[in-house]
Order: sequence, then structure tokens, then C-alpha cells
Amino acid sequence: MTEILVVDDSKVMRDMIVACLRAIPDTCFSHASSGLEAIERLSLATFDLLVLDLNMPDIGGVEVLEFVRAQDTLRALPVLIVTTRGDDQSRERVLQAGATAFLAKPFTPDSIIAEVRAILADRAEHVA
Amino acid sequence: MTGTADLKEFIAAYLIEAEEHLTVANTQLLAIESAQRNGDTNPRGLRETFRSLHTIKGLSAMVGIEPVVAIAHRMENFLRDSDRSGSALPQPAIDALLRGVRAIEQRIAALARGDIAAAPSEELLAALDSLGLSAAPVARAPTSVLDLDPELLAKLAPFEVDQLLRGIATGARALRAEFSPSPERAAQGLTINSVRERIAKVADIVRVLPRAVPVAPGAPGGLCFILILLTRATDEAIAEAVGLGSLNVQGIARDSPTKAVVPDLAPSIDAELDGVDDGRIDTHSRRGVVRVDVSRLDDAMEGLSALIVTRYRLARSIAALTEHGVNTRELSGIMNDNARQLRDLRAAIVRVRMVPVNELLERIPLLVRGLRRATNRSVRLELEGGDAELDKSVSERLFPVIVHLVRNAVDHAIETPDERLRRGKPEEGLLRITCGARSNTRLEITVSDDGRGIDRAAVAAKAGRPAPDDDAGLLELLCIPGLSTRDIVTTTSGRGMGMEIVKRTIVDELGGELELHSQFGQGTTFTLRVPLTISIVDAFSFECSDQRFVVPVTMVEEIIEVDSNALVQVPANEDGSPAVDMISRRGVAVPMIQLWQVFHLQAGKKPPRKAIVVRRAGAPVAFAVDRMLGQQEVVIRPMNDALVRAPGVSGATDLGDGRPTLVLDLVALSASLNTSSQPLARAR
Repeated sequence: MTEILVVDDSKVMRDMIVACLRAIPDTCFSHASSGLEAIERLSLATFDLLVLDLNMPDIGGVEVLEFVRAQDTLRALPVLIVTTRGDDQSRERVLQAGATAFLAKPFTPDSIIAEVRAILADRAEHVA
Repeated sequence: MTGTADLKEFIAAYLIEAEEHLTVANTQLLAIESAQRNGDTNPRGLRETFRSLHTIKGLSAMVGIEPVVAIAHRMENFLRDSDRSGSALPQPAIDALLRGVRAIEQRIAALARGDIAAAPSEELLAALDSLGLSAAPVARAPTSVLDLDPELLAKLAPFEVDQLLRGIATGARALRAEFSPSPERAAQGLTINSVRERIAKVADIVRVLPRAVPVAPGAPGGLCFILILLTRATDEAIAEAVGLGSLNVQGIARDSPTKAVVPDLAPSIDAELDGVDDGRIDTHSRRGVVRVDVSRLDDAMEGLSALIVTRYRLARSIAALTEHGVNTRELSGIMNDNARQLRDLRAAIVRVRMVPVNELLERIPLLVRGLRRATNRSVRLELEGGDAELDKSVSERLFPVIVHLVRNAVDHAIETPDERLRRGKPEEGLLRITCGARSNTRLEITVSDDGRGIDRAAVAAKAGRPAPDDDAGLLELLCIPGLSTRDIVTTTSGRGMGMEIVKRTIVDELGGELELHSQFGQGTTFTLRVPLTISIVDAFSFECSDQRFVVPVTMVEEIIEVDSNALVQVPANEDGSPAVDMISRRGVAVPMIQLWQVFHLQAGKKPPRKAIVVRRAGAPVAFAVDRMLGQQEVVIRPMNDALVRAPGVSGATDLGDGRPTLVLDLVALSASLNTSSQPLARAR
């Protein structure tokens, strides 16, 4: 079972992401509505993928990402950034901060499924 | 792969969330405007406005609402630039941003009606595109010093440092508290979200920062949250609010403000925003909240209503069986369980339908702002909400009434600044709205102004009636349908809706009370009391001349026996209105009305044996009926058909026999009969 943590302060957005990704078999989803809640969940349970928004109350996605990458236990966690700021500059900065992949909103169900499949396939290869 | 998700299905949820963000944007823009009027800035408000528009844009793009994306995108760009520069928003920019919010609101409303969202006007887009920033931001010199690790200090935004310094300057304690999450704590409901919510009750949370710590028994996840707070509460009070026996709390304000100098602070907001981190503490975490379309709740209530009606049919059938000598004891036990379950279910649905009264008040500042500009009045608005919640349907009926009263107050009651100065009043008028629960069942709203008050004589002349002696009489005059006092000096002329609609909504539809207190030259206060919930009520059913009626239990003061010896007959009125008897109750004479006469029914074969006592304007009034049938929960259906609407009838219900039974409002009924000189609107 692939455990995915979906982090976005908008419930509608989280629901949309989950609705899209349900098409991938053997996945289960947890939600977090803020950056702090995401960090808390990551410290208490193991996930296979983090789908992370950038613009959130309390701490933003980049801070979450930096925190994750600074932790020994979380360093290898794949992180897919999903953001409304889709310009190249943002993409560059986020990838530099350690994101595994970057997807701009609005996205289509097919595009997010493709991103997640690619990340999970890559990961399976590494593990194997 | 199974079917692909269709994001269009999320439109309904999108509309609700977009509305919430629009409310935030409106509220924050007004807060910014108000701060700037006082020569201050409101960076946190600016950032929240930015975040709301950013979220609206992202969601709108996902569901393909391009007109909203176009507007929100421009607003977001300007707000981001303003946030970076730290400057005040020029007034034209605030106006344009509020127009932008309004334009999005209109499109959201159109979508909610099933229409399409119109493309925004070129003029609006151009106005938003051409917005310019103010000149240099206001710099503030630090007045005290924070005792925080440089690493933490560097993570605070300038306005957060500013907030801390100002708090310390006004005598609050600046603290850092630590919370380490663990599976055990999470199991007890202690998570960063709940801790934040609880601490917010006793302190202002300036910032929460995560920090990696070595894994230890106290921090099994290797994580610790540091909460930077401003508070006047004690450390113990904070620990207690959190629900932890002890909490690691340290002061972060140095004793002497001269000890050191604040280091060059923090990454600029610029860098931070470039890092695409935009948010701050969300004070009302929405975790665990499900938003539901109100029509679905109505469906649930409707379903429950059907269940209640079925229950009464069942009860009648069982009663019929019992009459035929069948042993129905077991059935009766089941019926009792069923009654309890229905009550619980009803309570659960009612709870879901409740909305905070503060939601009612949220939109008032924007309204007042618009009126202020349209009428050239100078008005200060004071809002006092509370934690009370009321049924969505009550809230929806109440809102237009409050809008009407507010509009009247600003339009007509509050004088122009010149006139106020001449009268020796402060130049700025005061409009005060309070809203709070009076009891578990009633909400009281007051709308007060310090304007010119209502001229009783002028209103009476307009109505062609004698001048009333008191405010209750005045209110009655004001509520005469069609009475427009637009051309005289009062607070009562309005647009679209007169006082009679206010009275109909509050008194007739909601079963509430309306009260007026006006002092000529000094100001006017309207007091509204409405039930927090409607629809299903506990009611007494009774019979009168072979007709069944019900009356809500809450309305009834007492049910008394009618002893014909204790009656004093008063001669019938010449105008043909029903005769009023007096009945002695504990030695005091109470007027008693024959209900059969009021409704022009056949007189019963025997004289009425019971009387229902209600209290109107503080005085008891009795209604004579043939016999009481029982007490039960009934579903009140409003009677919207004007042909059957009658004074004293608040709706109809079905007692299970398939026939409509009238729900009586005996208080209003006694008022319409004018049994006493006091008018109905005066509550106790």
C-alpha cells in the first residue's frame, strides 16, 4: 500500500488531488491542512509520498520542504510540489530546495497521475 | 485504470470555499483601511488578503472559471507587490480591490444560481492593472529587545517582530512555549492544531516554528514546535488551556530594553515571498470541518419531519388498538424508545444547522463603509458578537432585517457632521450592533445609533393617528403597512423594505420580539429577539369546538382550569370584537378570550374547561379552550400563502391524521384582538 500525505490548506484542493490519485491502485491518503500539521504527521508516521502546496498559512511549503530535507529519516521522502505559482523561476527555486517534482495548478487528472506514477516507479527502482 | 476524476464535480464545494475567502478578503481590506485611517499599517491583514485571492485564483483555475482567475490574478499580483514593499495601500487601491472582490462575488453568486460567470469588464481589469504602490514604507524603531536564538529570530517577519515589540510595550508578556508531538498525545487529541486552537484562547500566537530535536522520550518524533506568544495569562493558565500538566514556557522579553540592540532582523518579506512562503498562523483552523450545502440539511430535516409525522400515525394506531382492548404495553415501550431516538436525531440535525452569529455580522462593515461614502456621513461602527450560534434559516431571514436597520440608521438617523457639531455631538456618529444569546433558545440583537431619534408627533401626523405615549405605540405606528416617513425627520424611511417587513419577519415569521427605544434628539435602539432555531417545536395540542390546534410550549405560561364560578362576564364590545371575560387566577383577574369566538367556530356543547395563559407585554392573557390533548413535537410549516395568512396563526402542522392543524401564536393573536392598550411589539 502506498501511503500519500496530501498537504493543502484548501479542502477542495485536497479533495480534488485525492479524487485524481485514486485512479492509482493500492494507494491510501492522509490529509494535512497546514505546513505545521504536515511536519507533525511526518514525525509520527511513515509516508511514501508527500504532495505539498506552497502557499499555506503558518509555514509555507518551502519551509516544510527544507525541514524534511534536513531530517535524516525524511531525506529520501519523495515530494511533489503542486502550486499555483507555475513560473520557471519558482520551479527552479523549489527543485533546488529539494523537491522531487513540480506541478503547476491548474493541472489535469492525467498530468498529476503521470507525475505520481513516475515518482513511485523511480522510487521502486531505487529500493530494488 | 478506472474512470478519471471530473473536477467539474467540485464546483459546489468550490463555491462555498470561494465565498469564505471572499469574506476574509473583505474583512481584511476593511481592517487595513481602518488601520490606515489611524496612521497605521496592517501587514498581517495584507498577507491574509493576498492568500485569499491566491487560493481563489488557484481553485478557480482548477474548475475552469476563467473570469474569476482573470480578476483574482491581477489582485493577487498587486497584493504581492504591496506585501513585499511593506507599504500602505493607497485609498484608490483599496477601492479597486473591494470592487474586485465584489466582481468575484457576483460571479460566484451567478454560478451558485446555475448561471455562467460573465467575463470581467475591461475597465475593471485595467483599473486593477494600473494600481500603484504608495511611497516608502513606514519604518518603526524597536523599543525593546527580544531574547531569542538568532536562528529563531531570523525566521520572524518584520511585522511579527513589530507585533511582539508593541505587545511588550503595552504590558503583555512575550513568551516561547514548546510542544512536542507524540503518538500518545495525538491519541489524546493533542496535536499542533488543537494546541494552537487552545492557546489562542489565552494568548495571541505570533508565530509557530518547527524545530528538529534529538529523538527522546519527550520528543519521540524528533520534532518540537516553538510557539511565540503574547499574553497576559500566567504560565499555569497557558498550560491548563493546552491541557498539559506542564508546558515549557520561557519569557523572551529582556528585562531592560537598553541592554542590547535588536540585531538586523529577519529575511526581508521579499526573500520570503520569493521563497514562495506566503502564510502565517491560521487562527481558525478548519481541520475536521465539513462544509455542507444547506439544502442537504433541509433534506435531512424534511426526512426527519416525515419520520415524526409517521410516528404520530403509529401512536394513533396503537391508541386505537388499546381502545379495542389489545395489550400494547410492549409497543408502548418501543414507542418511547423511538421518541427518544427521534429527539436525539433532531438535536443532532439542529446542531449541524447552526452557524455562528458572527457570520451575520461579518458583512456589516462593508455595508456601513458603502453607506458612509454614499451619504457623506461620518460613522463609527461598533460590533459586538459572541460565541452564540443560530439556525441557518433563522440567520438567513435575520440578515436582511439587520441590513435594513443599519441602512436606516446611517441614511437617516445619523446627522451630517455639521449638524452633529451644531447639536453638540461628536462629529462622528456611532452605530452599535450587539448580538448575543439571551438564553439557550433566544438570540438578542440590538442596533443602536446616536442620531436624531424619532419624532413621535411627526410619525403620528403622517399616519393620521394620535401621537403615541410610548415607544411601543410608536413602533406600532411605524409598522403600519405603507407608512413612509421619508419626507419627515425620522430613522424609518428605507429602500425596498419598510418597518412592516421587519416586524413581519421578526414577529410573524420567526416568532420573535421587536422592541424600540427612541429618544428624540439622542438616538434610537431597535432590539430584536429571535429563536435560535425554528421548524420543530414542542407544542401542546388542544381542541376547541371540535377543531384541533397546537401552540408552542415555550409560549405558554400556564394551563388553568376554568371554574365557571370564578368568571366575571364583561359585556360584548359594540364593534363586534369577541367578548372578554375575566378569570380569577390566584386572586388576580386575568382577561380571558373565547377562542371559538375568535375563529368564528360553533360554540361547544359545554362551556370551555381549560384556559391557556400566555404573557403579552408583561401581562397575562388567557384563552379558553375545550380540552387539552397532549404535548408533542410538531413540525411547523410556514404558511406563505397570503390568502391563509392570519394574525395569530404562525403556521400549520400535521398531527398524523393527514389534516392540516393550525399552529397558533396566542401572543400575537391577543395583540391583534387588542385586549389591552399595550401593543404587541413590546416584549417583556
